[in-house]
Amino acid sequence: MATLLKFLVNIVDADVNYATTPADYGEVDLTNDYLIWSKTLADLMTHEPTSSELNENAEIIDPAVAVTVSKCLWMNYSHEIFGPYYTHLVKGMGENKKFVYCFSFDGATATEPQLEAWDTSAHATAVKNVLGLGTPANSMMKGVCTTTTLPGANWAGTSLAGASNVVLLNDGSGALSGAKDLYANMKIKIPANYSTPAAETFVLTCRYTYV
Amino acid sequence: MNKPLFQIVFTDNSTFNGGNYQNTKWVEIPNKKIRTLFYLLPTGDYLGLGGYERFYHFVECTEDLSGEKKGIKNLEFDYIIGQKKDYTTVYQIDLKTGCIDLKNIKNDDKFLTKLNPDFWR
Repeated sequence: MATLLKFLVNIVDADVNYATTPADYGEVDLTNDYLIWSKTLADLMTHEPTSSELNENAEIIDPAVAVTVSKCLWMNYSHEIFGPYYTHLVKGMGENKKFVYCFSFDGATATEPQLEAWDTSAHATAVKNVLGLGTPANSMMKGVCTTTTLPGANWAGTSLAGASNVVLLNDGSGALSGAKDLYANMKIKIPANYSTPAAETFVLTCRYTYV
Repeated sequence: MNKPLFQIVFTDNSTFNGGNYQNTKWVEIPNKKIRTLFYLLPTGDYLGLGGYERFYHFVECTEDLSGEKKGIKNLEFDYIIGQKKDYTTVYQIDLKTGCIDLKNIKNDDKFLTKLNPDFWR
């Protein structure tokens, strides 16, 4: 059968992995759930955040220093697990933490899975502000593979954008020989005095193969 | 009835039929020398491949974690690969457009060395 992917986020302790402590992870229902990148949006909200709430809690561009978006929250549409809450803070996002975003594969792959960022689900362009306006190195979306090692303090990561700037999720060790959990950390870093405030959607994609 | 993704004729004249994109049955191919492999093209025709030492096949897909099509497994490319002693032929089938790209590459090409070696047949 085709290898299947589960995407999970750690909402308790980013020092423990999914295999040993599955209760610390929430499986993202990719059809209904989504990630919210915000400065002050509350953890454990009892309703789905409105557009007004998202705007009021947006990150503020700093005139002097680059700013890492403070929070990533998992918007759990079903709000049936971990209590009646719609938002859950993703633990360890952007920090020197290893077990934050988990890509769990239930079987082997032919090549190494990778994380990508695109403007839309067409996976054709990466020219939005957040993705560097066509210059992948300027993408604000940073990613780092943490499957085998910690990312380090103040990790820089890869500027995710398009087909050339991707994160290999098995740390460059190649294809998966069987079921395996891969990990990454991500953050959005806004350059100092960035001139174009915007509310932008973009697409994070996992590309993988099976036989 | 849907056509099998591939049909194999072994050197002992026995045959094996593949499945579909959700269950290709590639790993179920018996451990016997393949004489000819017929691979299903988007047009519904079969591409015949013979004279190769061994074959490889895989499907490349994407799954969006955000955006309007999140949660949908998108089949992007299908690869059927035949290897001879001196070179390897790679057919890349674009499953969105139906276009087929053919390349002959050296056997030590990085594309091949990065493949999971368990799935050569």
